[in-house]
Amino acid sequence: MVDRMATPASSVLECRSLGFSYDGAAGTADVLRGVDLVLVPGERVAIVGESGSGKSTLLHLAAGLETPSAGQVRLKGVDLGTLSEGERTRLRRNQIGIVFQAFHLVPTLTALENVALPLDLMGRERGRALQSRARAALAEVGLTDKADRYPEQLSGGEQQRVAIARALVHRPALILADEPTGNLDSVTGESVFRLLLEQVEATGSALLMVTHSDALAARLDRTARMVDGRLLKADVPAAADPA
Amino acid sequence: MILLLKAWLRDWLRHPLQRLLTILGVVIAIAVVLAVDLANQSAQRAFDRSMLEVAGAATHQILGPAEGFDERHYRDLRWAGWRDLAPIVEGPLRLETGDSVYLLGVDPLAEAPFREAAAGFGEIPVQRLLTEPGTVLVPPAWLEARNRTGEVEVTVRGVSGIYTVSAIPAPAGAAQGQIWVADIATAQELLGRLGRLDRIDARLQRPGADAELQAALPPGLELVPVGARDAAARELAQAFRINLTAMSLLALLIAVFLIYNTQTFSVLRRQQVLGSLHLLGVGRNPVLAVVLLEALLVGLIGTGFGILLGIGLAQGLVGQVARTVSDHFFVVTVTAVEPRPLALAAVFALGLGLSVLAALAPAFEASGQRSIAASGRAALERRSHRLTGHLFLIGLLMLALGMAVAGLGWGDLIGGFVALFLLITGFLLLLPRFLASGLKWVAGPVADRLDSALTRLAGRSLERSLSRSGPAVVALTLALAAAIGVSVLVGSFRVSVTEWLGVTLTSDLYLVPAESASGRGGARLPGEWVSLLSDWPEVASVSTGTTQDVVSGRGLIRLFLLEPHADWLEHLPLVAGSDPDLDQRLQDTDAVLITEGFAAHQGLTLNDRIDITVPAGSRSFAIAGIYRDYSHPGGTVLMRSDRYHGGAAPGFHSMGLRVGAETAVEALESRLADWLRDRDAAALITRPETIQRESLEIFDRTFAITHLLRVITLGVAFVAILSALVALQMERSREYAILRSTGLLPGGVSRLVFLQAGLLGLFAAVAAIPLGLGMGWILIEVINREAFGWRMDVLLPGWPLAENLLLGIGAALLASVYPAWRLARMPVVPALRVES
Ligand SMILES: Nc1ncnc2c1ncn2[C@@H]1O[C@H](COP(=O)(O)OP(=O)(O)OP(=O)(O)O)[C@@H](O)[C@H]1O
Ligand SMILES: [Mg+2]
Repeated sequence: MVDRMATPASSVLECRSLGFSYDGAAGTADVLRGVDLVLVPGERVAIVGESGSGKSTLLHLAAGLETPSAGQVRLKGVDLGTLSEGERTRLRRNQIGIVFQAFHLVPTLTALENVALPLDLMGRERGRALQSRARAALAEVGLTDKADRYPEQLSGGEQQRVAIARALVHRPALILADEPTGNLDSVTGESVFRLLLEQVEATGSALLMVTHSDALAARLDRTARMVDGRLLKADVPAAADPA
Repeated sequence: MILLLKAWLRDWLRHPLQRLLTILGVVIAIAVVLAVDLANQSAQRAFDRSMLEVAGAATHQILGPAEGFDERHYRDLRWAGWRDLAPIVEGPLRLETGDSVYLLGVDPLAEAPFREAAAGFGEIPVQRLLTEPGTVLVPPAWLEARNRTGEVEVTVRGVSGIYTVSAIPAPAGAAQGQIWVADIATAQELLGRLGRLDRIDARLQRPGADAELQAALPPGLELVPVGARDAAARELAQAFRINLTAMSLLALLIAVFLIYNTQTFSVLRRQQVLGSLHLLGVGRNPVLAVVLLEALLVGLIGTGFGILLGIGLAQGLVGQVARTVSDHFFVVTVTAVEPRPLALAAVFALGLGLSVLAALAPAFEASGQRSIAASGRAALERRSHRLTGHLFLIGLLMLALGMAVAGLGWGDLIGGFVALFLLITGFLLLLPRFLASGLKWVAGPVADRLDSALTRLAGRSLERSLSRSGPAVVALTLALAAAIGVSVLVGSFRVSVTEWLGVTLTSDLYLVPAESASGRGGARLPGEWVSLLSDWPEVASVSTGTTQDVVSGRGLIRLFLLEPHADWLEHLPLVAGSDPDLDQRLQDTDAVLITEGFAAHQGLTLNDRIDITVPAGSRSFAIAGIYRDYSHPGGTVLMRSDRYHGGAAPGFHSMGLRVGAETAVEALESRLADWLRDRDAAALITRPETIQRESLEIFDRTFAITHLLRVITLGVAFVAILSALVALQMERSREYAILRSTGLLPGGVSRLVFLQAGLLGLFAAVAAIPLGLGMGWILIEVINREAFGWRMDVLLPGWPLAENLLLGIGAALLASVYPAWRLARMPVVPALRVES
């Protein structure tokens, strides 16, 4: 299934002429227009741009959480547009980890259970093996002692670290992070960001991260700027540019 | 203020389903309460009116033997100077269609001051009633119901043949009547009682007149104050209503609960709005005003529609109730529900008041909050968890109190109802605590054991939203328990009645008059049949039975005159007074047996005495035994027929025949059928199986209404679960979105919702078992015993319990279909964008 319609699988994520619009009372509002973007394995890309320019929308499209109104998204060569909702969900849970600005941990699950959740949903491992893998992932982000706490009993920084562990525990090919430090103070933000980079490095995942901070963006491989729904490229390594 | 209103009311546009459920909750609750009450009241009033029309404005009645007495006594009294007297002959009249009506034969000239129906007599009907035999006045409503106007011909089956009578509409003054009225001569003819009267009504105003009149009466006639007869009949109807009242109280409890539930939901859900408004500096009063306004609106709309629906439902119910009353007590016909303004006002106040109160409590709390943290869901849940502890303690207390009241048999019927209420409420208050622990257990050990993340999620999120899941479970539990309680009552009752019928129906064949015998008098079979049939070689033994109302020291009582088979006492379910000489005592001395019900109503026990007027005059009878009997709610006194008549009975209501050892029942049956063809009196041959079947049919009809209520109750619970699930779904939409973004399939979301609903249903179904059995026990042991004096063995129903388990889980799953479907289709991103 994953290999259906595969193109040369050198890219993790490939967006082609991506468009997205909302139907509102005042006609349709174009949020994204002709966005092209390619990520190769292990590549770390920052997206910067004004508030409301469409950065989160791009991430949601990449994750298959929304359907584009134009163009296509390919995840490891598979065109998301050709998949059913269920197949898209399966592809997402196997290949993608998401880190949100607002952490979005499941409030009824403990830190450890939140981390174990993707493995559980994938259903490949069960019981003890699953537990120990989740524990290891939690240890990676330094939260072994808080494994049994519920999200509301954790600080914002701790919650985001749990979210990072959850996004990476199943070693996805792609991490999508939407302002992962946006809700944190600068010191905590810095440590969380560093943790995220370490983890991405360790798992070899590609990273697409939205941020408001040029300083953080500069520490990734390249930066793309979103202006009014269009992606302006900057620092694009020639090898990765398809155009 | 406008912005405030907007902030608060926009919810209506954004979550129309949720709001609709709020209103629906009020509608259903109000409709159920009103319908039961209306049906009850309408039947009761029909009954009262019939009583009034029959008894009229008389202060006293002159009664004789149940067969009636010679009309010459009336003439003699008038000659003796007693003027305010009205002769009456009365009884049920069978129409060709099979319906029965109650016919009152009156003297139109003597009648005027007595009867409401008569008060409106115009000149013409009086003239016609007097001069044209075969003319009857019928209630105009009866004609209208058959689309007839003016005068019509009606065919009736009299005791001695088919008659065609001219039915003319009664004048407007009697428009509400239930009773058919005829001139006394016509009525005597139709009822087969030529020259006889059933009673004479008297209006005695002068003090001391009653003693004088009593002295002027010939032996065998008694002067009885009207109240005595009225009270006896009224008591019977009341007994039946008690079970209905228990039901409507239950409906009320569920209604209170449902309204509170849905209204509280609707406010709690927006507590964050309230909190934010408060933080923005909006004072408490404007916020409360807005909430109040909305609650009033919901209450108004809900109650309004509820009343309409209730009246509609009542139309359906009232026929049932009227039929039951007719089956057991008196022929009443209720053609329409007449909502009394008072009842409507009360229900209206209830709906509106509850709606407002239920909304105000949480609003008051929220509007006074100091911080945004306190207004969040998490804080609410923390509070609900703390609350479950308090509720648990209060519940334990109420349970203990309820058991004390029930166990000690405090007081009477009121005590029974108090106990019932305490036990139900107490038990329900325990539930949230148990539910919390149960869900913890499911989310912990059970989920670990199953290694199922879904189970863990389902359990945890239910446990975390106890303020939602708790009330929903309580509502479902109550509904299911009510169903179980009623099953236990009806099931136990039915088994007891079946057993009792089996024991008492000891003959192989029965003979009964072709015309149904009810009321005083009623059709009888000739007494000489006993000796005629006893001589047949096929007949081993003959018994006869006659039921009649007679005058006693305790008012009018129901007397069962029995000429039994020799071994009858072996079959009688005696509960007290068992004694080898009992039969001799009943034959040779003035002694009677009474039923449990009679003992309970009259406060009589073994060896007490009761004065009973037999044809030879009033005598004192000893109570020699008490037996179990379900034939009549007011209870019965059993006397040997020869003791009553001082010899052979002139007539009887039914005869039981046992065949000899060598004879087939069929042989006797066919010979009897031939023999009956040549008799004057029309009689039917019935088998005990038929009597048993018919009795059970009446029984089932009586309780059909409880099944209906059961269905309604379940509907209410369904709405409760549905609204809880929808609320949960809305509140937890972000959680579901997170799960979806982490990789939970749409089908997985549905499964999660089903799992939650199933857990709630299962818990409710399990919890309903002890509660339902307890309710059944109280209904049987306390309420029915107090109301009817009936005792029965409590039966543990196997199938109804299983059925209720399935019903509970089924209702919950059904309620979750829509939320599950909707949630699986929910777009993920908007839900993710909502900040926590
Ligand atoms: N449900 C919706 N209906 C209509 N327009 C929407 C909806 N959701 C988002 N938008 C619009 O889409 C545009 C892009 O939103 P998006 O969240 O992608 O911006 P963003 O770049 O992530 O902004 P920020 O940096 O503030 O997070 C915005 O202009 C927003 O107003
Ligand atoms: Mg954004």
